[in-house]
Amino acid sequence: MSQAETQKEGSILFVGIDLGTSRSSISSSNNTREWVESYVGWPKDFISLQVVGKPVLFGAEALKNRLSLDLCRPLERGIIKEGIEKSEEAVKEIIKHLIELAKPSGGQKIYAVVGVPADTLKVNKLAIRRAVSEFAHSLMVVSEPFAVAYGMNLLNNSLVIDIGAGTTDFCIMHGTIPSEEDQKTILNAGDYIDDQLYSYLSEKYPNARFNKNMVRQFKEQFSFVGDMPDEIKVEIPVDGKPVLHDIKNEIRRACESILPALVEATTEMIARFDPEFQIKIKNNIVLAGGGSLIRGLREYLQDSLKEYGPCSVTSVNDPLFAGSDGALKLALDMPSKYWEPL
Amino acid sequence: MISLLHQKREMRVRKTILRGVYEDNLRIIGKGGNGLISHRYYYAKKVLLTLCLSLVALLVHANYVTGPFFQERQLTAGLITRDYRTTPDEISAKTDDYRAFMKNPGSLSRVFGLEVRTIMIDPGHGGADSGTIGKMGTREKDLTLDIAKRLRERLLKHGKYHIVLTREEDTTLSLNRRVTMAIANKADIFISIHLNYLPSKPINIIETYYFGPSSDSKILRLAEQENAGSEYGLSDFRDMIEKLGRTLKLQESRDFAYSIQKNLFVNIKKETGNAYNFGVKRAPFVVLLGVEVPSVLAEVSCLSNRDEEMKMNTASHRENIANYLEAGILDYLRKGDSKL
Repeated sequence: MSQAETQKEGSILFVGIDLGTSRSSISSSNNTREWVESYVGWPKDFISLQVVGKPVLFGAEALKNRLSLDLCRPLERGIIKEGIEKSEEAVKEIIKHLIELAKPSGGQKIYAVVGVPADTLKVNKLAIRRAVSEFAHSLMVVSEPFAVAYGMNLLNNSLVIDIGAGTTDFCIMHGTIPSEEDQKTILNAGDYIDDQLYSYLSEKYPNARFNKNMVRQFKEQFSFVGDMPDEIKVEIPVDGKPVLHDIKNEIRRACESILPALVEATTEMIARFDPEFQIKIKNNIVLAGGGSLIRGLREYLQDSLKEYGPCSVTSVNDPLFAGSDGALKLALDMPSKYWEPL
Repeated sequence: MISLLHQKREMRVRKTILRGVYEDNLRIIGKGGNGLISHRYYYAKKVLLTLCLSLVALLVHANYVTGPFFQERQLTAGLITRDYRTTPDEISAKTDDYRAFMKNPGSLSRVFGLEVRTIMIDPGHGGADSGTIGKMGTREKDLTLDIAKRLRERLLKHGKYHIVLTREEDTTLSLNRRVTMAIANKADIFISIHLNYLPSKPINIIETYYFGPSSDSKILRLAEQENAGSEYGLSDFRDMIEKLGRTLKLQESRDFAYSIQKNLFVNIKKETGNAYNFGVKRAPFVVLLGVEVPSVLAEVSCLSNRDEEMKMNTASHRENIANYLEAGILDYLRKGDSKL
């Protein structure tokens, strides 16, 4: 960090924000790290306002009270839903909430780097800027996989695969800021697995009563691909009575449903790259995002790329904060002359 | 030593990346004036502008001095002043087969003594196919759907038309599905709503198409884009063209297109003053070909234009466009009646 920046460090709070479809996190230069599920809820009417006691709720709290709330997931499918002002409002609320969580002291200026799904960056750049600009003094928006790559020092010859909820983003780094050709987005990601799992389960257990939220929790708890010895049994009510159901096969089928597209896109990205450096890229593939927590996924990907020559796939240590940590690092490294007041 | 060198290289890479992020973000807000790097861009722009000006001066000069011998100049001028409007005469000259019908202007409803009952509105694109996307992220598919719904509301108020939309929601719909829907619903007339995108020009153009062979490469390219979702084979295509020859559809569609275009353009021009009339054109769009009733495709606005995109985001402007389309449809339908 340059001297000038150290001097004014006290008066400036650098924050890195990872604005995700399912979870959003913030890392800041005063060492706070917080995350929240990307749900925003407003009380439906006067009575629900009395019940929840707050004008706006976030994350787990909003989910818990969802029956009395207008619930909004602002970045569903990786972009701000078009034409709905509520989504933009929700993004604003989440950003505000996250920055509050970072506890800036009074009078501190906030310089933020915000990582967003690659599609959002392409489609809703201005909307994101509008949403954030109210709460930050200076601001840069980057794509999530790029923030992850920067945070992990993977600046050259690497491929980051960010398996989020709405989208899976691929980003090749080759020593410059990735252009559009270096990035690719597919819709096969966490939400897609949820949908599959939901339909498999309703097919197999037509009498059981469950909802999307429960299905998502099953997935987050048990997801795997390939083989696993243990049984997976969960309690799902049938006619109001909790009954144990075996959902191992359905979990596997649902998780594996994203694999073909994932492998195809990965090989396509590698093939697109300069042939001389393809080997380097193959040894530098990094999985990030919530999807990287699927057990066996890393091994599966490495295995299926085997026929393209030796390769190594790793997962980030902390998928929840990899994006925001990277964004924070970017914010700290950014020369002060690049920060422009809004 | 080696590690130091390595470190130095990494620092350099890091620097380029940081600068890249900064420039990228400047581009998002669309300003480059007070940036550090942008001065260079400005300089480059200035140089370019000077070059352009001198080129223009040269061309004008050449115009006076060498006159018609300077062929290149003629070509440029021709490109600029070329009138895109196809006049009715031109069309009749091209399509001899229809000349007989031309003498008998009036709508199908008049010829057969039938009334137009079902109007099919086709909001372009949808679902996985967003159509064109404006700089701020406005998607064609959302706008077309919204305008279509507004148009339906307006037409329903007359109480005598049955209105069908090809899609009610943001769903993917192949082009031939739209065509079969039009046939299945026994549509009497068919209008497809689209938005234009001209990456290089900051203008707003209004144009309306009906089916017919086209020789303009630009239109062919546009048709190729709009036809991308169709699953028709080439032989089907030929069949359909032959079928077309047996109907009155071409002439009817042309009349329809003219009244749509007239109403759209005159009103939008009145409203903004910044719109170009690209007129009625013929193009081999699949949606227009397959439907066997009078059908047109209207490009109601231009999403590549930032002002226009902003305006399209206001409900009142979309309502206005629906209003103009309604006026165009009614104009076309009334023309037959008034002449009876």
